[in-house]
Amino acid sequence: METIIGANAISLSAVEKTFTSGKSTVQAVRGINLQIEQGQIVALLGPNGAGKTTTIDMMLGLISPSSGSIRVLGNSPHQAISSGNVSAVLQTGGLLRDLTVRETIKVIAAMQECTERIDSVMERTSLNKIAKRKVGKCSGGEQQRIKFALALLPDPDVLILDEPTAGMDVMARREFWQTMQSEATAGRTIIFATHYLEEAQNFAQRTVLMSQGQIVADGATEELRHLISGRVVSASFTTESQADQARNFDDSVFITERQGLRYTFQCANSDQFTLALLQHFGARDIEISSPSLEDAFIQLTKVAS
Amino acid sequence: MMTTYIQVEFARHFRDGYNLVFALLLPAAMYILFGNIPSYGQSELGGGNVKFYLMISMAAYGAAVSTVSIAGTVATETMQGWGRQIALTRMSPTTFVASKMIVAATVAAISAAVVFVLGAATGAVVLDSWIWSVSYLITLLGAMIFACYGIGMGMILKSESALGLASGLMVFFAFFGNVFMPLEGAMLDVARFTPMFGYVALARYPMLADIPAGEPMSSDPLWMIATNLVVWAMIFAVFAVLATRRAKARQ
Repeated sequence: METIIGANAISLSAVEKTFTSGKSTVQAVRGINLQIEQGQIVALLGPNGAGKTTTIDMMLGLISPSSGSIRVLGNSPHQAISSGNVSAVLQTGGLLRDLTVRETIKVIAAMQECTERIDSVMERTSLNKIAKRKVGKCSGGEQQRIKFALALLPDPDVLILDEPTAGMDVMARREFWQTMQSEATAGRTIIFATHYLEEAQNFAQRTVLMSQGQIVADGATEELRHLISGRVVSASFTTESQADQARNFDDSVFITERQGLRYTFQCANSDQFTLALLQHFGARDIEISSPSLEDAFIQLTKVAS
Repeated sequence: MMTTYIQVEFARHFRDGYNLVFALLLPAAMYILFGNIPSYGQSELGGGNVKFYLMISMAAYGAAVSTVSIAGTVATETMQGWGRQIALTRMSPTTFVASKMIVAATVAAISAAVVFVLGAATGAVVLDSWIWSVSYLITLLGAMIFACYGIGMGMILKSESALGLASGLMVFFAFFGNVFMPLEGAMLDVARFTPMFGYVALARYPMLADIPAGEPMSSDPLWMIATNLVVWAMIFAVFAVLATRRAKARQ
């Protein structure tokens, strides 16, 4: 399929999804606009129930939106899937317990019409050692790796992962992202949902923050961290009055935490403030840090609710 | 893409064993048990003998149960997320269901063939030899209406082991459907409304057609048999659709 370089891999406009079961209705997604360019690596970050999985299911055509439109590589999600240009790692289920690992890969490869890639994909996802094991006997991390292998089979232009490291221990997660790094080849668009801030921070160029069915922030992952403006500066003083003077350095400075004579400030211009702390306010043991994505996250989801 | 899937499906079902006992061995064992009671086995009946009659009965039961147990896995696998995985491939859901049906039909064909071969080897007899093939074909094609029943039950019960219940219910259908032993009087009147009645009666029709109406073991008229078969086929089809909708809505 022809696709124009720089065109949108995924485009969602005014997408809403409401689930009705009996008398109760749940608005899982409340109006999302999102354009993802080809080649971008994007994290969909949000707590459980933010609407990430629903959004991903709609991108994949597994469910249809209540209103709004979704285009994937310029086509409907269904067309994009059947062209083999889009594949995904789903969060729940998706494997038959009584098939062996290799049978699972073989079956899906046959359905994707790419049996020639079986060996290389199994090699790259290190599944060769457990090729003959029944899926039901594999650990959670191994099952995730199988699903990842299935997603890599068609050599997709767009790869969508819904909490790919759920149920993995720390080692398995690290290995997974290492493999992932080598699969993030030029031009491949990767979208992954996660509630691990660390994963968004380490892997995504762009982070879309979701909360309660809406996008509350969207930008370069670095920028998102700056959304809470400024830096955090911690310092120890010899007297309380020094700290009081420091607090009045400019309007942006305020105290966020205090333990004895150790103070933590938030400020807009950390360079000037730190210089002043050293030169004029007798501060010692200065530490400067950026607020973590977690801080941004807590603040932004608070704002949205 | 279908052939690989079908191959793996066979490998799976043969590894499982449990399904196969019910689908292949049980009908064969029942035929040997009931068909070789010396007091009536060789007795003439319609265009053949009692053994032939019992052979069709057990083959029909086996074919229907095989179809139920394999078609039912369409549903349970869909509910376990395998359907979502397949929805992400180029293979269409129709091809997925069609592959399953081919597997189900093949196992049903083997199951019925085992009983037919046993029958031929142990003295099941029919005067016109074409009745062998026609009875076999009706047994096989008629069994397909139970695919919808299997899918519907799978969608409601959701787990693979609970599918055993769907197969278990088939024993009741078979008993009350005049499959296992000839029913009489009020029992037979009730039987005419049960799902396996029309199916097995049609499979026996070629051999029983010449017995004059009113005589013992004479066949019901063809329209009655066909009505039962068509009505139950429609009921199962609607059941499968409704059960699937309900299951999808709750997913």
